Amino acid sequence: MAQSSSAKVRRGAVAPKIGLFGLIRAAFEHHSHTFQDSLKRLAKDPLQTLMTASVIAIALSLPATLFLVVDNARQFENNFESFSQITAYVDNSANQKQIATIKTQLQAIPEVAAVMYISPEQGLQEFTENSGFGSALKYLESNPLPPVFIIEPIADVALEANQVQPLLAKISQIAEVEDTQIDMLWLQRLRSLTQIGQQIVFALGFVLGLGVLVIIGNSIRLTIHGRREEIIVVKLVGGTDAYVRRPFLYSGMLMGLIGAMGAALIIVIGFWWLSGSVAQLSELYNSQFRLHSLGVQGCLALIAVGASLGLSGSWLAVTRHLKDIKPR
Amino acid sequence: MIHFDNLTKRYSGGYEALKGINLNVNAGELAFLTGHSGAGKSTLLKLLMLLERPSSGTLLINGKNINRLANSKIPAYRRQLGVVFQDHQLLMDRSVFDNVALPLQVAGQSRKEIGRRVRAALDGVGLLLKERHSPAMLSGGEQQRVGIARAVVHKPRILLADEPTGNLDPGLSAEIMALFRRFQDVGVTVLIASHDIDLINQMNCRIIRLEQGMVADDGGTHGSVF
Repeated sequence: MAQSSSAKVRRGAVAPKIGLFGLIRAAFEHHSHTFQDSLKRLAKDPLQTLMTASVIAIALSLPATLFLVVDNARQFENNFESFSQITAYVDNSANQKQIATIKTQLQAIPEVAAVMYISPEQGLQEFTENSGFGSALKYLESNPLPPVFIIEPIADVALEANQVQPLLAKISQIAEVEDTQIDMLWLQRLRSLTQIGQQIVFALGFVLGLGVLVIIGNSIRLTIHGRREEIIVVKLVGGTDAYVRRPFLYSGMLMGLIGAMGAALIIVIGFWWLSGSVAQLSELYNSQFRLHSLGVQGCLALIAVGASLGLSGSWLAVTRHLKDIKPR
Repeated sequence: MIHFDNLTKRYSGGYEALKGINLNVNAGELAFLTGHSGAGKSTLLKLLMLLERPSSGTLLINGKNINRLANSKIPAYRRQLGVVFQDHQLLMDRSVFDNVALPLQVAGQSRKEIGRRVRAALDGVGLLLKERHSPAMLSGGEQQRVGIARAVVHKPRILLADEPTGNLDPGLSAEIMALFRRFQDVGVTVLIASHDIDLINQMNCRIIRLEQGMVADDGGTHGSVF
């Protein structure tokens, strides 16, 4: 009697044949259940979740904003690449005929693409309009501005410092040209600044990324402590470490995800708010430059970064703190 | 089914909880483990659940030596067991159904299968109508029955119970024991640690008495009042 019923029980003790499809379905059910459960737990304590998420959001938005600023600066540089102009200042005493000669001489240089003449009168008018010193300038006895040529080099020469120098020399050789100026130095300065900016982005990103790991790790540590009893029971009924770990990993990932969404929101709103004034500013400089915000891809990337930081943070916390909980 | 061979458990402090235990429990047998507190009952159950590892000797379960079972294999091993705790270890933040479902969830069963088996187990302990309740709303006896349903829901071949009637009055205790008897009837090996000697005597089963970490008496169906 005992033997036969034992055999019956043995059949029951083994999981029924469910096949690969059934296994996958059960795993999917379990994951979606765990995911929903983690979500519910976060919703159960909204204040705590909100606080953790906002700290993560701020920590993520700082390097992301800086990254965007650097990225915009680079876009800005590229905008200028096409017209690194050379300004040639002509002696004030030069007459109309001399000016015309200089213009032909300049146009004769093969590296020059275009030449534009700005007379002292034009220069003064432009300056009056744009500078806001209009009324003050009226008190000047004579026009202090020299005649100016704006020279645009051909594309090959633009921005290649070693090629621009001979061109500058050629222009300087023209008798009446007093001084040449190239609007490139500030661009080079901007370039090295953006390079430093990039390095700061990496350093800041690294440090604040670590910060996010710690924040999430700590929050998960508290959750583990709060669910200690449950972990023990799950282990007693044969839950694997992976099973025990899973809800915490989901919680951490969700927390990172929510934080990153907050960061994306902060950045998108902030850049939207700035974009109007930046567009106005760049209009003043006759530039096509527009502020680039995060965009869909950027948002997704930021959220992916947040989620993976959350996952790693909770992984670290879980591996570290589950060991302390008996039974093994 | 369960075989102890010269098993010794020495805790890190040097205290010897079990000293050379030799014991054999056959498949489908119901046996009581009794003795004073500190006699080694809990340690013996802990060894069976692999909560502790033996210091020396051999522990065979279903012919398999589990002394050297890798830590990663422990969860799979525990799924073959059903365990009833004195303090029932129910999770108060989830329903009776979810508590009983835990061993099946842990084993990765499908939702449909879980629903079917949990209801069968709850029906078996007479609590089918309370599946949506929180364990906190149930009486002590009902809570212990939920604990038993959880211990058997995955149809284990071995059922261990640590003082399952410790907090219950005699009437409820007898009910619980009757439940254990029913599992024995379908072939489950049942080992119950208890010092409720009156109750044990009524059961007319094998009694293993431990004393200071050794088997003092084995085989009688009536334990002495110690």
